[in-house]
Amino acid sequence: MSGAHQDEDFKGRFDPRVWRRLVSYLGEHRGAVTRLAIGGAVIAAIEAALPLFVAAMIDEAHANGLTSRLSMIVTFYLSTFIAFAACVWMFIRAAGEISTGVGYRMRQDCFRKLQELSFSFFDTRPVGWLTSRLTSDCGRISGTLPWVILDLFWGSLLLAATATAMLIIHVRLSLIVFSIVPVLIAASWGFQRLMLHSGRQARRTNSAMTASYNEALQGARTTKTLVREERNLGEFQRLSTEMRGWMMKNSIQSSLYFPVIMTIGAAGAGLALWKGGGDYLSGEGLTLGRLVAFLQFAGVFAQPIQELAQRFADILNASTAAERVVSLLDTTSEIRDHPTVLAAMAATHAPDRAFDGGSPRIREVRFEGVSFWYKPGVPVLTDFNLHVREGQTVALVGATGGGKSTIVSLMARFYEPREGSILLDGIDYRERSLHWLQSNLGVIQQVPHLFSGSIRENIRYGRLDASDAEIETAAKRVNAHDFILSMEKGYDFDVGECGERLSTGQRQLVALARAVLRNPQIFIMDEATSSVDTATERLIQGGIEEVLRDRIAFVIAHRLSTIRRADVILVIDGGRIVEQGTHRELLAKRSRYFELYTNQYAVEREAELFGAPTA
Amino acid sequence: MRRTISTIWTLLEGHRGRYAMALLALLASAAVLYAVPMISQAVIDGVLLIDEERSTPIAKWIVATLGGTDHLRERLWLPGIVLLAVTAVAGLLTHLRTRFATGAAEAVALSLRDRMYDRIQRLPCATLDLKPSGDLLQRCTSDVETFRTFLAGQAIEIGRAVVMLIAPLPIMFWIDWRMTIASIVVLPFIVTFSLLYFRRLRPLFAAKEEAEGKMTTTITENLTGIRVVRAFARQEFEREKFAGTSGAFAKADLVLYARFATFWATSDLLCFLQSALAVGAGLWLLAGDRISVGTFFFYISVIGLFIWPVRMMGRILADLGKALAAIDRIRDILNTPDERFDDATEPFVPQAEGGVSIEFENVSFAFGAGATVLDGVSFSIPRGSTLGIVGPSGAGKSTIVHLLLRLYDYGQGSIRIDGRELRTIPRAEMRRIVGTVMQQPFLYSKTLKENILISAAGHLNDEDAMRNAATVASVHASIEEFPQKYETLIGERGITLSGGQRQRVAIARSLVQAPSILVLDDALSAVDTHTEAEILRSFRSRESQHTTIIVAHRLSTLMHADRIIVIEHGRVSQEGRHEELIARSGTYRTLWEIQTSLDDPDEPAEALATEVH
Repeated sequence: MSGAHQDEDFKGRFDPRVWRRLVSYLGEHRGAVTRLAIGGAVIAAIEAALPLFVAAMIDEAHANGLTSRLSMIVTFYLSTFIAFAACVWMFIRAAGEISTGVGYRMRQDCFRKLQELSFSFFDTRPVGWLTSRLTSDCGRISGTLPWVILDLFWGSLLLAATATAMLIIHVRLSLIVFSIVPVLIAASWGFQRLMLHSGRQARRTNSAMTASYNEALQGARTTKTLVREERNLGEFQRLSTEMRGWMMKNSIQSSLYFPVIMTIGAAGAGLALWKGGGDYLSGEGLTLGRLVAFLQFAGVFAQPIQELAQRFADILNASTAAERVVSLLDTTSEIRDHPTVLAAMAATHAPDRAFDGGSPRIREVRFEGVSFWYKPGVPVLTDFNLHVREGQTVALVGATGGGKSTIVSLMARFYEPREGSILLDGIDYRERSLHWLQSNLGVIQQVPHLFSGSIRENIRYGRLDASDAEIETAAKRVNAHDFILSMEKGYDFDVGECGERLSTGQRQLVALARAVLRNPQIFIMDEATSSVDTATERLIQGGIEEVLRDRIAFVIAHRLSTIRRADVILVIDGGRIVEQGTHRELLAKRSRYFELYTNQYAVEREAELFGAPTA
Repeated sequence: MRRTISTIWTLLEGHRGRYAMALLALLASAAVLYAVPMISQAVIDGVLLIDEERSTPIAKWIVATLGGTDHLRERLWLPGIVLLAVTAVAGLLTHLRTRFATGAAEAVALSLRDRMYDRIQRLPCATLDLKPSGDLLQRCTSDVETFRTFLAGQAIEIGRAVVMLIAPLPIMFWIDWRMTIASIVVLPFIVTFSLLYFRRLRPLFAAKEEAEGKMTTTITENLTGIRVVRAFARQEFEREKFAGTSGAFAKADLVLYARFATFWATSDLLCFLQSALAVGAGLWLLAGDRISVGTFFFYISVIGLFIWPVRMMGRILADLGKALAAIDRIRDILNTPDERFDDATEPFVPQAEGGVSIEFENVSFAFGAGATVLDGVSFSIPRGSTLGIVGPSGAGKSTIVHLLLRLYDYGQGSIRIDGRELRTIPRAEMRRIVGTVMQQPFLYSKTLKENILISAAGHLNDEDAMRNAATVASVHASIEEFPQKYETLIGERGITLSGGQRQRVAIARSLVQAPSILVLDDALSAVDTHTEAEILRSFRSRESQHTTIIVAHRLSTLMHADRIIVIEHGRVSQEGRHEELIARSGTYRTLWEIQTSLDDPDEPAEALATEVH
């Protein structure tokens, strides 16, 4: 449902390049593919041979009664059953291996790619949309692949075997039956095209319908206040009626397809009965058993063709998923290490150097003439300059959309400057390793993101080899220890998906402990706008001071206490620094900062007055 | 169970005829399908072999009907044509069966979808608060789909298996009872086996779904937290985590595949056992000259016809529980009372132009058995005047608005509109006279024009009204800047509006409604002060047109109101005009002092500066 607007337009073309890429995933599973192929082939052979057995048995029993030859045929007949069942068992397991293995590998590759792609990629794609690339798209491809392989072997072999058997029994008769093949193929082609179309339309209408249900739920109050129920229902009914139309169309098409194929097949069998019966009666070397066998062959002849057509339709159905997955895999990240940096990382360095050969310490950060835009023609930051030294805290204040978040995103190299450069100790950060820089960052978001798991695991995210004692020390330093102990199971408390079982304030404390454990050289914080109850608020304040001490820190600040203690305050508006200085200096100017400050002062006083959370 | 069946019966109302037709087609197609092997048998025995002695009466009848042995020997194309015709008719009947069954199922699904949609949008807020929207959405989509599949497919498949099995039995017994028994004796085992096997697989299916859920969570968490992952350079750690959860999912899936392999191999063996029994018995009888070749052929073909439906039946029966559970969950929603059950029926007409009078007298309210939200609130608003409401969040300001709109029913006290008790005014009529703008207004995924004109019944082309309203709401200029202007699509498939733009569009929407009461529930919070002042100015010039309630946080928003009340802890703590309230000490004056300190640069700044250190 999410991102229904994107890529949802099925192309449904068969693009061999896309599929070749996917087939390369089969490399790891050569054994399973072989077993699948053998299984399909043996089953086709048995299916082709079965009528021959029945024919032989009928002829023998009819002519000679219960002979030892008959019992031999019967024994053979029975043993093919066991071989058949064994093959079924084998190919389903092989299909399982391929389906789960390919699905797994494909998901790993997609996931790996997502870890590398730059943020500009994520800006335009909703999380739900990306998630379904890894879940349903990969699932659809890996679920389709083994059965396509199986039926390719089974179908073509059965077709070949049946045709051969028929040719052996009677050449002229076979050729008569073969004449139905083009008709079968034409009919399958036509029907599959129709069914593909109606199936897609039905799916599309269905997702529109789901979106509409969702809107009805999300907008329930508005609908009530506007007394829109009748007209909403009317609009929904248009969709649901359309849905019914496509569903009817699709199932009517498929309910016509199978009978049509059967009837065409029966036409072949009828032809065989007519001509073959004549040959038998005129005694032209066709025994009754062989005639019966031939009739059976002619009867099943249509089946593999129909089955192959079905698989081809499956491929077309999965082709949109395939295109999307392959295009994700083929996306290259805009932000990645420069080749010279990669070369430096491969070399060995002195122990006092970072792993990319540069200095391990960051003593100063310089923004030089930095300009940035997300969309060409809409500059967010223009010719921005800034100099920060070790131990300094920079507070960024100003209205939303002024460019504050962009500055910290550039600092974290989530994006790179379009113009100008950012220098770490005089060296452009694009000449350093991305991984090295980001290993030295601590980031706290406005609404801190936690992962499902225990509080302990979430704090340990800051440093994976931290001991339990170190985790507790970090928690104590940011005043989180007491609240954690008050939780059920303490540090082992399960925070739930994205930390939903903790309050915002508690999440902030955990995120602070995580950052302290990290001990980063550069600290970036987007301070929460919504305050929490006064007691927690005070705890958080203490925690933040602890985190900021002795590092380079960039804070998108909202709280007065944070702003006041900053070494440099930048008032950002329209992508530029409009005022810069310390709290005292700026206050004395009585200008933009003064306005912002007094405004915030009022907000915080009110919060105190009411003693409750305010926006 | 009985309740479930009666629910299905009720839901089928109006479509039972079509469903009966489907059953009829099912029966007919079974009959025709079985005719195919009978014709083959007749041709083998009566025309090719001329086995008069062992041929069956039916075969003889078929041969006689087609013109007798000699006639047919000359014209072997005739049985061929008949065979073709019979297959075509069987196909046609199968098609009709699907057509009727699908027709019935889709019609039921259509009416269910519409009813569910209508029900959820009419559920009282009190009910909606209790039901997570994800759950409701699932009932509307996947549960209805499960039920539809049941009607269109599973129910018909079960019927088909039963018919295909039972229909030929009399004839089979009549032709040869020994062959008949040999042809069906394994079937009960096949059904039982598949039923039990799939029942036992249920926990594995559940385990797979759970593993899939965990995998999805890992992806979602990683993507929503991608900044944290990058900032902590934890890509490798995340990859390992994902390898763990997606590996667990692959494993759970593989286990199911292995079980499927065992199931299909075993059930194949059982089916083969069935055929082998019939072939063995047939050969024995054939060798003893007790049955004809045609009869033998007939039984082999018949087994081929019913073994597949019977084999699938076990699986379908095992899945039946899901469909029944879905029906129960659907019924649950359809039986939840909605707002159409309204005691108030008598129409309401405002006494005069220019708004209505509103009186709250000692009104109390609590959500369910929860804490009291409003505790004896009283105030009155004369026709055409403006009431301002201020107070901390959670104090009950919005609840007053909700009660007025009859979104919730008030417990104690009395609310009177133009003197009439609110409870006796039909919900729809009350809401039609109130124009409401909430703090986070909901806009529909339609064009701006459609959104603004949404409550203007039948005037969807009233562009003047639209432009006027948008101008009063100070949003006309912003809209004109969009490339497609008023035709711009908003929402998931269109552009995203800022909070302030949404609020202003919602204000325009409520103005088009020409309401008797206009309610702004913190509706200007995301609009900058300058624009806010502009909007309020144009509102004041319309003052005589409606009664107005403004809930706000910024006192500048409501200082011009005719009357202001301060709500704290569910009670009216202060009441009066702005000038009166700032003259008295209390919450309002304190708020006023805090909020105006920024307008007065000198004095508070000193206070601030000293407070800083």
